[in-house]
Amino acid sequence: MAPFFVLLVGVFLAPVITAVWLSFFTDDRSGLGFGPESTTFVGLRSYAAVFGDPTFLGALGVVLVFCLVYIPLLVLLSLTLALLLDSGAARLRPLIQLGLFLPHTVPGIIAAIIWLYLYTPGISPVVDVLAGADVTIDLLGVETVIPSIVNIAIWTNLGYNMVIFYTALRAVPRELVEASVVDGAGPVRTALSVKAPLIRSSVVMVVLFSLIWTLQLFTEPMLLSQSTPVINSRFTPSMYIYDAAFTRNNYGLAAAASVILLVCTVALSYVVTRWSNRDARRRAAG
Amino acid sequence: MSGPPSRRTLLAAGLAAPLIGALGGCGPSEGSLSAGDRTRITFWSALRGSQEVVAAFNASQDRIHVDFEQVPTGTQGGYAKLGNAARAGNAPDVATIEYPQLPGFAIDGVARDLNDLVTDDLRAQLLPQALERTTFDGRLYSVPLDLAPMVLHYRKDVFDHHGLRAPRTWAEFADLGRTIRDRVEGSRITAFPTDGASQFAAFVCQAGGQWFDIRDDAWRVAMTDAPTRRVAEYWQGLIDEGLVHTTPTNSQQYNAQVSDGSILTRLTGSWDAGAQMNARPGQAGQWAVAPLPQWEEDDALLSDHGGSTFAVSTDSARPEAAMEFIAWQVAHPDAFRARLSAGTSTQFPAAPALVDVGREALDPDYYDGQDLYSLFDAEAAKVRDDWVWGPRMSSTFQVMHDNFARVGPGRMSVLDAVAAAQEGTIPDLHALGLNVHAVHG
Repeated sequence: MAPFFVLLVGVFLAPVITAVWLSFFTDDRSGLGFGPESTTFVGLRSYAAVFGDPTFLGALGVVLVFCLVYIPLLVLLSLTLALLLDSGAARLRPLIQLGLFLPHTVPGIIAAIIWLYLYTPGISPVVDVLAGADVTIDLLGVETVIPSIVNIAIWTNLGYNMVIFYTALRAVPRELVEASVVDGAGPVRTALSVKAPLIRSSVVMVVLFSLIWTLQLFTEPMLLSQSTPVINSRFTPSMYIYDAAFTRNNYGLAAAASVILLVCTVALSYVVTRWSNRDARRRAAG
Repeated sequence: MSGPPSRRTLLAAGLAAPLIGALGGCGPSEGSLSAGDRTRITFWSALRGSQEVVAAFNASQDRIHVDFEQVPTGTQGGYAKLGNAARAGNAPDVATIEYPQLPGFAIDGVARDLNDLVTDDLRAQLLPQALERTTFDGRLYSVPLDLAPMVLHYRKDVFDHHGLRAPRTWAEFADLGRTIRDRVEGSRITAFPTDGASQFAAFVCQAGGQWFDIRDDAWRVAMTDAPTRRVAEYWQGLIDEGLVHTTPTNSQQYNAQVSDGSILTRLTGSWDAGAQMNARPGQAGQWAVAPLPQWEEDDALLSDHGGSTFAVSTDSARPEAAMEFIAWQVAHPDAFRARLSAGTSTQFPAAPALVDVGREALDPDYYDGQDLYSLFDAEAAKVRDDWVWGPRMSSTFQVMHDNFARVGPGRMSVLDAVAAAQEGTIPDLHALGLNVHAVHG
């Protein structure tokens, strides 16, 4: 266990403790700020500032909306694809699997550049084709920008999550499936009533990981922000933290926002786990 | 390992130094002197022509040698680089900082208080309104290089063709906007710059607003004061009436609008006259420059727009040498000549004695012989000396840009965008521990 604890302390606990420390003890520029600065205990000042900042609350709002759109869509699509592959309905299974998984191997920053090219009016062939069909759409507009990023996220993560579901489905005992067929269930009924409930733990895991991924959303909007003013420099909490530390030179604020993001992530993960466990417990009791 | 040899090297250097100094004194040229014996200082700048200025300075004397490093412009990472270097304790001796960002660097302890270093002689050579801009709480934090008064750049050829003249008041400007919309096919008077918080600030400054101020040992923030409301409502009217485009100036679209005559005026600092010459040589003879419109005809208020200053870092071990270099850079005619040798520029120096140097270096043909420097000289005198930039101006501008991008008829208003910039700035200032007095409305 020693290597585990070394890593845990080195890459997780130490940074967290540093962030917490930075959020309470920061360079204090009192009065007008022109005097010498000193590192002092500032209490909850940085936290109060973060919660009083409408741009941070806006950033939290953006990722929450993103979660609500992205996670159900991702789970639904990848589960459907996995069930289709598992049912044998799809021909050329390995090829399809490979094709869907491939985008996941593209680094996020490259993916964002590819999509940036496809979204930017004037250079995008997609927008050109749509314009040819008399459809004018600004894929980086106020209303379309979140769906556009959701699309990138789905493209990147669909294949990976589908593989998780597909692997779980392979582990479903074949006799259960055969029994349901004998009982007269069609392929759709078998998929929804037998297979899907049996891989529930995989679904919970995917929801959890996607939630954490979304709360830390950074690369894609950061890159897209260069070509649309709709994505501002504090669009997501991670971008807010980056901006606070490196543009505003305000490390106390950045640290406090990081701690708040961590607490939000832990709390939401806990809620998801509780919710799935309670369901399981209730069923066990019933 | 490193002990004895380094001591020996030091001794050797100590013995050799006077010798080389003596040789240098009777040598044929100062250039042959090795840089090792001079006081070495480092200098970072994104300004064009800095390399030439440094070379001229190094050749002009034999006591100080400046090592120059070209850095990206502030928003492209230059300021982040400076901030990080200061945190790491290796900031350059001399750094270039624009007016709006200076308070932030002063507060962060990057820029040094120069009161004890700057000579009265140097102060006397610089425009007082420029020096006021770099003085906070009675302490001078940087030395101004240039001060760019806001002016109206307009398409004289189109104006002449349609019998129009440069507007003297903002009311005339709006009327002219209507005339242009109705009479000049495909043109608008100008573009509201959605990435132009600094221009908007200049309009507010001219109207008598005061976004930031230092009062009673606190930062007073009032970004929606009455003059700001007046300016915001004025531009909102132009946008709603369809008299202006809304375009980010740092874009291909804006570049095209200026090039193809979609917009007929630009409201920017005096430096933009030179930028125009470099960017669109094909439009030679088409543009002229006029004073910025005033709110009332006999008002004489103005703001600057752009302009740079030189700060000595708190880390600097050789602040006197740094200051000597800065003084030469901002006030010596040879420095300005060297800077202008790097390319066309209409920089308006903060040292009035250098205005003639700029006038002589400028090719008069592009503006049809118009004496730009005399105009700038007259306009610079109107620039307010009591405008104060805030402690986190890059960020304040950024939030304003984020919101300006959403401004349009039936959408977010200009005033909302400015108010949002204040809301997005105040928490920052609180987190820094500053005394803040925020005024709403």
